[in-house]
Amino acid sequence: MASVAQDPASTGPGGPEGPAQSRRALPGWRQIGSRIIALREGSIIVITLVVAIYFSANTSNFLTGGNLETLLPYFAPFAILAAGEVFVMILGEIDLSIAGMYLFAPIIYYKLNTSVGLSLGLSLIGALLICVAVGAMNGVFVSVLGINSFVTTLGTLFTFEGLSLIISKGTPVATPGGQVPVGTFGKVFGAGTYSELIWAIAIVVLLQVALTFTRWGLYTVAIGSNKLGAAEAGVRVNLVMIRNFMLCALTAGLVGIFEAIRAQTVQPNPAGPNEILFFAVAAAVIGGTLLTGGSGTVVGALIGALFLGILKDGLILQGVQANYLLFYTGLAVIVAMTANVFVGRARRGHGGSD
Amino acid sequence: MPETDQPHAVVGRPDGADAAVIDRPGFDRRAFLRRTALTGVGVGSVSTLLAACGSSASSGGSGGSGSVFGSHPGYKFVFVNHVTTNPFFTPTQYGIADACKLLGCTYQWTGSENSDVSQMVNAFNSAIASKADGIAVALIDLHAFNAPVEKALKAGIPVVAYNADAEGNARLAYVGQDLKLAGEKMGERIVAKVPSGEVGLFIATPGSANLQPRIEGAEKVLKAHGISIHTVATGAAVPGEESAIEAFYKSHTGVKGMYSVDGGSTESLAKVMQKLGLKGKVHAGGFDLTEQTQNLLKAGFIEFTIDQQPYLQGFVPALQLFFYKVSGTQTGPFEANTGLKFVTKDTVDPYVTKSRYEGTTSAAAVVK
Repeated sequence: MASVAQDPASTGPGGPEGPAQSRRALPGWRQIGSRIIALREGSIIVITLVVAIYFSANTSNFLTGGNLETLLPYFAPFAILAAGEVFVMILGEIDLSIAGMYLFAPIIYYKLNTSVGLSLGLSLIGALLICVAVGAMNGVFVSVLGINSFVTTLGTLFTFEGLSLIISKGTPVATPGGQVPVGTFGKVFGAGTYSELIWAIAIVVLLQVALTFTRWGLYTVAIGSNKLGAAEAGVRVNLVMIRNFMLCALTAGLVGIFEAIRAQTVQPNPAGPNEILFFAVAAAVIGGTLLTGGSGTVVGALIGALFLGILKDGLILQGVQANYLLFYTGLAVIVAMTANVFVGRARRGHGGSD
Repeated sequence: MPETDQPHAVVGRPDGADAAVIDRPGFDRRAFLRRTALTGVGVGSVSTLLAACGSSASSGGSGGSGSVFGSHPGYKFVFVNHVTTNPFFTPTQYGIADACKLLGCTYQWTGSENSDVSQMVNAFNSAIASKADGIAVALIDLHAFNAPVEKALKAGIPVVAYNADAEGNARLAYVGQDLKLAGEKMGERIVAKVPSGEVGLFIATPGSANLQPRIEGAEKVLKAHGISIHTVATGAAVPGEESAIEAFYKSHTGVKGMYSVDGGSTESLAKVMQKLGLKGKVHAGGFDLTEQTQNLLKAGFIEFTIDQQPYLQGFVPALQLFFYKVSGTQTGPFEANTGLKFVTKDTVDPYVTKSRYEGTTSAAAVVK
């Protein structure tokens, strides 16, 4: 269990160096390549690079500054959502209510600002606190009451999507802090070109460090691998689980507000978030987090989100019609994941582990 | 009839065509006039244009309209839509495809499947990054597209709104129904049938800029006549809409009229009218013409529906963008009202036959 928790660090660059040692005289691309591939995230990095190279070669406008900016919102929000979801998935649970939080948080943020009259910052904090409370509720239902997380969070998903419609009366409104000219607050929280990217990287690094190096991360993996064993070893299982659900709800609410500020509109329509939920979970799984729990990586989730983002942006740039987009996306995911398995085998040959 | 024959057929009937057609034996002059009146000015100018460049369009392909408009690089236009896979927009896509074929251009139909505004904004930005020659967008949100549209215009990409418009947006023109006026006209129609009493109004997604102006227009007129209004949000999925409308009726059995302001809830309303046997008891009407709506209108379960000619909402923006690019001077696209046509039991017949212009078949055919 413990070794699983630490393996991105211990079996990464510093792992067993049988083949690498013999090549020590030639520290070059080959060795770096070998090290990258030995990382847990190695195979999906390779696949993502291949996809990026494919679109660079086939789509004249893919590798341009303008498109790199365009690409950001295709993956940064998903990376943050997936980062939170990874902590729940490692437990062997799932949180579907992130779509509900994504929809609900900006509506509360709007109400606190316009109806209650709080400042933008306080409205943001207030909305996120409500999300965290919902996360805690999810955690209590799953851990203390022992209700299946799929069912619990499906319930909270519907409840809060419904509440969003009720509170907003089904009407979209302009996001406070998002209107042109956008102020500093708006630029920091979503509207700035690189705002979501910076948040995504910061959150992913923070959570990866927490997962790899802290007791919290260790316990999370331990619970996902063997819940009973962890409890007998003295891990306070319920507390860790509740905490992880709170984290997941927090990241989802944060992304919801970022996106509302970026698009300048608070939308009450649940259809979009339900689709986003699916892609966030997919990003985590593609990145190497197991649906069955016990193993996961936050950095992998970021790369998984990047993979899906490049795929979607690239296909749209290539001029794929709407009716064909899902079809091609689906095929590409199957092909890429099949390739991922083969690259994964090569990875183990280079000293990586599961 | 193969598609390539169509332009020749049009060319074969130059200006005197109308007279020639009228002389044909068995020709129903009344039906012809009715159709002509229905299709209005927009189609008139478009058909002139069809005739003008028809001869070269049959050659097809990039720059195919060369002999008329000079050889251009074969522009690519991007259409950003809120419900890309919704059948309402099938005729719109045919309209774009036909205009592009005629002009030797290409197009991309993209956006979101479920009215997800941030996805639409992403697709819009991708269109800018792909250096599209023109963008048409359904402005279903009042704020979200302001910055992206300005960015596109700054990059020299013309932007035209279609189907839904947002006040204050920098788009060059709007091609679609005057939504508020459509609501008001519906309101007047309601008042004529239901001078007093209670009326139910159904809207799939309140607040969305392609529907809200209609319900506001209707409410304005109804309020002025002292009619009491119940507004019901029915949701975006047709099965749910049906139960919402049914539940409304069962709890308001004294209602005098029920009206919908979008295609989905119009179809659902017609189904509920049929299911509960309300024909003759409650007045009903709505917007748009799904296949079900057409059939139920013909059977008299609703009294009217309002057509906005979605085919033209694709065809006209493509033309506008083309002229903007090809001429350098025709850069002030015209506002085009694609129609506010009341279709009733008596006028629905041409719709019920399969038609490319209504999206019920992909085959092009000349109406006889």
